[in-house]
Amino acid sequence: MNLSDPIIYLSLMVFLPALGALALAFFPRGKEEAVRYTTLGITILTFMLSLGLFFDARGVEFKTGVADMQDMFSAPWIPTFGIQYLMGLDGISFPLVVLTTFLSILSFIASWSITKHVKAFCILFLLLETGMIGVFMALDFFLFYVLWEVMLLPMYFLIGVWGGPRKEYAAIKFFLYTLVGSVLMLIAILMLYFNSDLTLLNPQQLVHAGVVKVEANGPRSTPESAFAEWVESEDDALAKRFREIKAETDPAKKRQLHTFNILALQHIGQHEDSPFNREAWLGKSIQWWAFILLFIGFAIKVPSVPLHTWLPDAHVEAPTPISMILAGVLLKMGGYGILRICYPICPAAGYDLAYIVCLVGVVSMVWGAFAALAQNDFKRMVAYSSVSHMGYVVLGLGVWSLGMWSATTPGSFTYNADYWKMGVNGAMFQMIAHGISSAGMFFCVGVLYDRVHHRNLNEFGGIMARMPVYSGFAIVIFFAGLGLPGLCGFIGEVFVVLSVWKYSQLLAIISAAVVILTAAYILWAIQRVYLGAEYKGPHGEALTPMLPREFVIAVPLTVMAIVLGVYPQALLNYMQPSVDQQVQQLADWTERFDASREALKKSLGEEEEQVALAVPASLPATPAALKTSIESSARPAQ
Amino acid sequence: MDLTPATALPKLLAAAWLLPLASFVVILFVGKRLGPHGKWAGYVAVGAIVSAFLLSCVAMFVVWLPNHELPVTHHGEHHEEGDEHDDAPADDDHQHGTAAILQDSPLTARAGHDSPFQLAAFQEGEAHADEHAAEAGHAANPPPTYYFGDWYSLGQFGNLKLTIGYYIDALTVTMFCMVTLIASCVHIYALGYMHDELHDPYHDHEVIVHGHHLSRPGRFHRFFQYLSLFCFSMLGIVIAGNVAMVFVFWELVGICSYFLIGFYFERHSASTAANKAFIVNRVGDFGMLIGMMALWASLGTFAFGDKQDAKGQTVLTESGAIAEPGIFSQLRTAENGYRLVPPASMIAEERRHQPALEANEETLSHTHGHWLLLVAGVGIFCGCVGKSAQFPLHVWLPDAMEGPTPVSALVHSATMVAAGVYLVGRFYPAFCPEALLVIAIIGCITLSLAATIAITATDIKRVLAYSTVSQLGYMMLALGLGGWIAGLFHLITHAFFKSLLFMCSGSVIHAVHTNDMTEMGGLRKKMPITAYTMLIGCLAIIGAGVPLTPIGFSGYFSKDSIIEQAWSHAQTNGGVYWVFLAMAVIGASMTAFYMFRLWFMTFTGAPRDHHKYDHAHESPRVMTGPLVLLAIFAIAVAWPAFRLTGLLEQAQPVGTAAGGSGMLIEDLVVPAEHLSHAPDIKLRAGLAAFSSAFIGVFGAAVVYLWGYLNPKEIKQTFKPIYTLLWNKWYFDQLYNVLFIRPALFIGRQIAAFDRGVIDWFLHSCAWTVRLFSMVFDVVFDRTLVDGTVNTAANWTWDFGLLLRRFQTGSLRQYVLFIVMGTWFMCLAYFAAAFVLMS
Repeated sequence: MNLSDPIIYLSLMVFLPALGALALAFFPRGKEEAVRYTTLGITILTFMLSLGLFFDARGVEFKTGVADMQDMFSAPWIPTFGIQYLMGLDGISFPLVVLTTFLSILSFIASWSITKHVKAFCILFLLLETGMIGVFMALDFFLFYVLWEVMLLPMYFLIGVWGGPRKEYAAIKFFLYTLVGSVLMLIAILMLYFNSDLTLLNPQQLVHAGVVKVEANGPRSTPESAFAEWVESEDDALAKRFREIKAETDPAKKRQLHTFNILALQHIGQHEDSPFNREAWLGKSIQWWAFILLFIGFAIKVPSVPLHTWLPDAHVEAPTPISMILAGVLLKMGGYGILRICYPICPAAGYDLAYIVCLVGVVSMVWGAFAALAQNDFKRMVAYSSVSHMGYVVLGLGVWSLGMWSATTPGSFTYNADYWKMGVNGAMFQMIAHGISSAGMFFCVGVLYDRVHHRNLNEFGGIMARMPVYSGFAIVIFFAGLGLPGLCGFIGEVFVVLSVWKYSQLLAIISAAVVILTAAYILWAIQRVYLGAEYKGPHGEALTPMLPREFVIAVPLTVMAIVLGVYPQALLNYMQPSVDQQVQQLADWTERFDASREALKKSLGEEEEQVALAVPASLPATPAALKTSIESSARPAQ
Repeated sequence: MDLTPATALPKLLAAAWLLPLASFVVILFVGKRLGPHGKWAGYVAVGAIVSAFLLSCVAMFVVWLPNHELPVTHHGEHHEEGDEHDDAPADDDHQHGTAAILQDSPLTARAGHDSPFQLAAFQEGEAHADEHAAEAGHAANPPPTYYFGDWYSLGQFGNLKLTIGYYIDALTVTMFCMVTLIASCVHIYALGYMHDELHDPYHDHEVIVHGHHLSRPGRFHRFFQYLSLFCFSMLGIVIAGNVAMVFVFWELVGICSYFLIGFYFERHSASTAANKAFIVNRVGDFGMLIGMMALWASLGTFAFGDKQDAKGQTVLTESGAIAEPGIFSQLRTAENGYRLVPPASMIAEERRHQPALEANEETLSHTHGHWLLLVAGVGIFCGCVGKSAQFPLHVWLPDAMEGPTPVSALVHSATMVAAGVYLVGRFYPAFCPEALLVIAIIGCITLSLAATIAITATDIKRVLAYSTVSQLGYMMLALGLGGWIAGLFHLITHAFFKSLLFMCSGSVIHAVHTNDMTEMGGLRKKMPITAYTMLIGCLAIIGAGVPLTPIGFSGYFSKDSIIEQAWSHAQTNGGVYWVFLAMAVIGASMTAFYMFRLWFMTFTGAPRDHHKYDHAHESPRVMTGPLVLLAIFAIAVAWPAFRLTGLLEQAQPVGTAAGGSGMLIEDLVVPAEHLSHAPDIKLRAGLAAFSSAFIGVFGAAVVYLWGYLNPKEIKQTFKPIYTLLWNKWYFDQLYNVLFIRPALFIGRQIAAFDRGVIDWFLHSCAWTVRLFSMVFDVVFDRTLVDGTVNTAANWTWDFGLLLRRFQTGSLRQYVLFIVMGTWFMCLAYFAAAFVLMS
C-alpha cells in the first residue's frame, strides 16, 4: 500500500473526493465553515495529486512524448463477465483530468456564497468530482458506464435543489436527456460486448490493452514472451479461458471471449475480420448501429443541435459553480467519448458517417451562435455560446481528411493524415480552452448575479466604471471565448477550421463564417453589460468591487487563457502524441479498408463496372452508398 | 557586435517589436501608480516606442543599407525624370549609360546581389512562351533578399507547421522605420493631446448622466497602454513570417483598434463604433480565413520564405531542391521562370476527385489550379478589404473617428488601415492577374466613392477619414494594376502626410473643442503652426509639384506613379480598362477639392463662431513639435535623393516585376511596372495629374476662399446628389436592412425554434408518456390487475361469508356434518379403490 503503485495513486485521485464525502457525512450539524474548508482541502489535495503526475511523483508520472496509456492498472472486478477495474491515462484523458481537478477547486471557491444545506452540497459536489475524474480514467466500458451514472445523479440534485426558480424543470430535463443518452450507450455497450472476441488480438495488442503485462526486465520483457507466459498461467482465469477458446479447433463449437476493455475493443474494431462488421439490422453492421447509439448519447452531452435544449435551461437554473462545472467539464465528456469510444471502436461506421458528424458540428456552431445573438438573459447567451463552441469540437473530431488524389498520376491516392491530426488536436485543444473560457464566462455572470440578482442583458451597463478590475478580467475571458489570438479560444478554432477545408470546402466556409457571429454576440453583450455610462438595472448600490475570493478564481482562469493562447505547445506536448497515434491508427485502418475494398472491386470483375465508376467521385465524401453497394455485391462472393 | 544581417536584423527588429509589449505590460500592472494620475505611463510608452524607432533606424542604416546595395539602375518612379533633367542629386551619370537596360532591368540589376536564393535563376530567358507583348522577352525577377526564420511553433502536425517567425526584407525594415517614427510622433503628441485625462475627475461633456456631465477618473495611462499594445501588434504584422502570424496580429490590431475607438466607452456612439469596427473587420477576416484554408490545404504551408540556416542561406535538400519552400517559392518556382504557375498539389486540391484514367485534354488544361489560386488571392484580399476599409467594408472607418484624434492619426490612417495594403504587397506574388483585377476594381470603386462622400462631410475628422479610405483605394488600385512599387510608395508617403493632417485636425479640435468645420474659420491667425503644417499636408496629399520635374511634395511622386501605372495598364489592355485611369484622375481632382475645402473652411475667411474663435489658441509645443517633424517628412520623404523607391525595389517580390497575363480571363494583361516609366506615359500622366489637382484646388478656392459661389446654393441645386452623399450613399442603412436585421431575425427565429419546436416536441413527448402512463394506470393496473386481484379477493370474501352460515354453534348439526363427512370419505375411498383395482 504505497503511492508508487498506479492502482493506489490513481484510485486515490478518483476516490479521494468520495471518501471525503463519506467523512463529511459524519460532520456534526452547524459546522458549515468546517465543512467548506474540508471540501476545499479535498479538492486541493486532489488537484495536487493530479499535479504530482507532471513530476516524478513517487514513481507515478505522466511523461510527455508518450503516446500509449500510462500508469495503467487493472484488477478483476466481476470476473464472470470479464469486467475489470481498469484505469489509465494518456494524452487524451490526462489534460481533461487536470482540467477537472483544476476547475473543481475554482468552482468550489465560487460556491462559497451558497448557504443552503451546505453539507449536502459539499457531499454531492465531491461525489460529482469522483464521477468526473473516474469517467476520464476508466478504460473498462462497464466501469465507464457506472461512473458516468455516478456523475449524473449528484448533478441532478445540485441543479434541482440549489438552482433558480425553475430548478425542478431544468433538473428533470437534464436528467432525462442524459439518461436517454446513457440508455442508448448501454445498448451499444452490450451490443459491442456480446460481439467482441479477445482472442482475435495478437500479443502486442493484448499488451497494449493491458490484458497482458510486460515487465521491464526478466522473462516477461517482450510482448511475445509475456503473452506466452500469461497464456500458460494457471491462476489467471482469463488466461485459462483464452487458452480454452484458442485450443478449440472446431469452428462450430468455437466461442468468443467477450470483453469490456475499451482498448481491446478498439483493437477488435480495427481488426481486419472485426466481428463488429457483421450485419445487424437494415443492412447495417453492428458497429454502424453502435456508433449511432453512442454518438447520440455523446452528442446529448456535448450538446449538439438538435439535442441541446437541456443546456440553456440547466445553465440558467444551476447555481454559478455548477454552471462552471457543467460547461467546463461535463460537456467535455461528450467530446471525450466520441474520441475515445466512437471512432476507434467503430471506425467503419465513423468513416461512413463522417460527413454527418461534421454536419452536426457545423450546424451546432451556426445554430448556437445565432441563438446566442437573440438572448437577453446573460447566462442563456453564454450557454448558447457553449453550444456553438462545442460544435467546433464535434467538427474537429469528425473531419476524416486524408490525403488526396494525385493531379497527374491517375489512380494514385496519397494517404496523409496531417490535416486530420490537426483537426482532432484542434478539437481536443478546443475542449480544454472552452473548459477555461466558458467556466470563466459563467463565473463572470455569477459575479454580477450575486450582486444584483438579475441577468437581463438590457439592464446592465457601466459595469466597467463601477467594477474596473472585474471588468478587465471579464473582458479578457470573453475575448478568449471570442477566439481572439493570444488567448486560448483562438488556437482550437483555427486548428479545426483550417483542417476542415481538406475534407469539405462547404463546411469549412460555413464554419469560418461563424467567427463573424461569435464576434457579434460577444461584443454586443460586452457593450450592453460592461460599457456605457451608467448602470440601468436594479440594486445598483450592490455593485461593489471584486472580493479577494473572486479574485482568486479570476486570476488562474485568465492566466491559463493567456498561457494556452500564447504557448499552445504547453498543452500539445502532453496531448498530441496520443491524439496523433490514434489518428494514425485510424488512417492506417482506412488505408487497409480502402485497399481491401479495391481488391474486392477488382475481384468482382467487369459486371460491377458501374460501381467501379462510382468510386472516384464519391470516395472522400459519400462512402455510404458505395460501401453498402459493395457489401451487398460482396456477400454472394463470400 | 555581430552586425551581419542574418543574425542582427531578427534580433534588432524583435527587440523593437517587443519593447512596446513590455511597455504595455508595465503600464497594465503599475500604470496608475506611475507618477501623478499615471502621468509617467506616457513617458514609459514614449520611451518604448522611441527606442523601437532607434532600433529600427539601426537596423536600417547600420545593418541593412551597408550590406545591401541599392539597385544600381533605376527604373524606379521618378528617377528617369532625374535623368532627363539632370538635377536629381542622387543620380549619377552612368545612369544614362544604362538606360538601355531599363527594359529588362530587374534581373540584371539584381544579378550580382547577395540574394540568399543562390539557385541558378534565370536560364529560362526563352522559357517565356507568353504571346503577350507586354511580357515577351522578359525573365521575371528572382526573389528579393530576405531573412526568414521561426521563433517558436504554435503547433506542428506532420509536415504542417504553424509558427511565430520573421520575414525581413527591405520592405519590412522600411515599414518598421515608418511605423515607429509615426508612432513616436503620435505618442509625443498624445502626451499633450490627452492631457485632460490627467485630471481627476475628468469631465466628459458628451455624456450626460442624471442631468450632469459625466465625471470619471482620468484614464491617461490606459490610453498609452492600448497605444503600446497597438504598436506591438502592428509591428507584429510587419515582421510576420507567415500568413497565420499575420492573421494573429491582424486580429490583435483589430482588438487594439476596438479598445482605442471605444476609449470613451461611456459614450454609446463610441462603443457602437468600436463594435462596428471589429465586426466589419471580422467579415473581412472570414474571407481571409477562406483564403488561408485554400492555401493551407493546397500548399501545406503559410510561410512567406523558404527555410534558411543561421547564415541566411536557403536550406537545400541533397538533390538541390529547396528544403521547405514557402508559399512564393511553391507558386513561382525557378523552373517556371518565377512565373505564377499553380503547383501540382494545388491542382490536385482543386480537382479533388480522381483524375480520369486517360489523361485527356481537360486534365492538362492550363487553367487548372487557377480557380483555387483566385479563391486564395481574393480571400486574403478580403481581409485587406476589411482592414483597409475598402468598399464594401469601408463603413467602419469614418465611425472609428469616435476615438481620440491621436488614435485616428496612428491607427486609422497611418498604420493599421495601411496594413491591408501592406499585406497585399507582401502577398503579391501569390495574386493571379484575375485577383489583381478584383483588387483594382475594389480600389477604384473605393477611391471614387469615398472621395464623393468626403466632399459633403463637415466633420473635420470624417473628411480626413474618407480621404484615408480614398487614398487606400488609390494604393489598392495601384497594386491591382501591377504597380507594386507605386502602391507601397504611396503607402509610405501617405502615412506621413495623413498622420500629419490628422494631428493638425486634432490640434484644431483641441483648440476649438468641436469637430464641425461649419463652426471654424479664420483660425490661421490664431494657430499659424497648425495651419501651415496642415497646408503642407494638403499639398502633399494632392500631389503638388512642378510637373515633369523632380520637384514636389511627397504625394506628387507617389500619386504620379500610380497614375502612370494606370495609364500603362489602360494602354496595354484598352477598352473598359480606361475607367481605372479616368477614376484615378477624377479622384485626384476630388481629393484636391475636398482637402482644400477643408483647409479654407478651417483656416481662412471670417470666423463662423466667434466664441470658439476667441478661445482658440495654438497648441503646446509637445503637440506642434511632432507636426513640424512630420511636415518635413511629408515634404521630403519621397524625394529622389532619399531613394525610397530604390529601397522598395530591393523588396520587389519574386516574379512580379514582369507583370503577368490572365489565365481565366485570357486577354487580361498586367503590364510590367517599369513600362509605366516610358517618357510618353510620364508626360501625359504627369500633366493629367497636375491639371486635375489644379482644377480641384481652383474649384475649392472659388467656392470657399473667394466665395464666388455659395455652397448652400450648390447644395440646393444638386439636392438629390447632395442628400445621397450626405447620407454616405446609404450604406449603413443598407447593411442594416440587408445583414443586421436579418441576422437578428434569424437569431430570434432559432431561439424561438428551440423553445417552440424542439422543447415543444420534448414536452409533448413527456406529456404523451404521462398520458400513456395514466391510461396504462387506469386500464391495466387499476382495471385489469387490481380488478383481477380485487375480484379474487371479493370471491374469497363471499366464499367466507357463505361458509359463515355453516357456523351455527349447534353441536348436533356439527355431529351431523362429521358423520356425513366420514361417510363420504369412506365412500370415496372405496370408490377409488374399486376404480384402481379394476
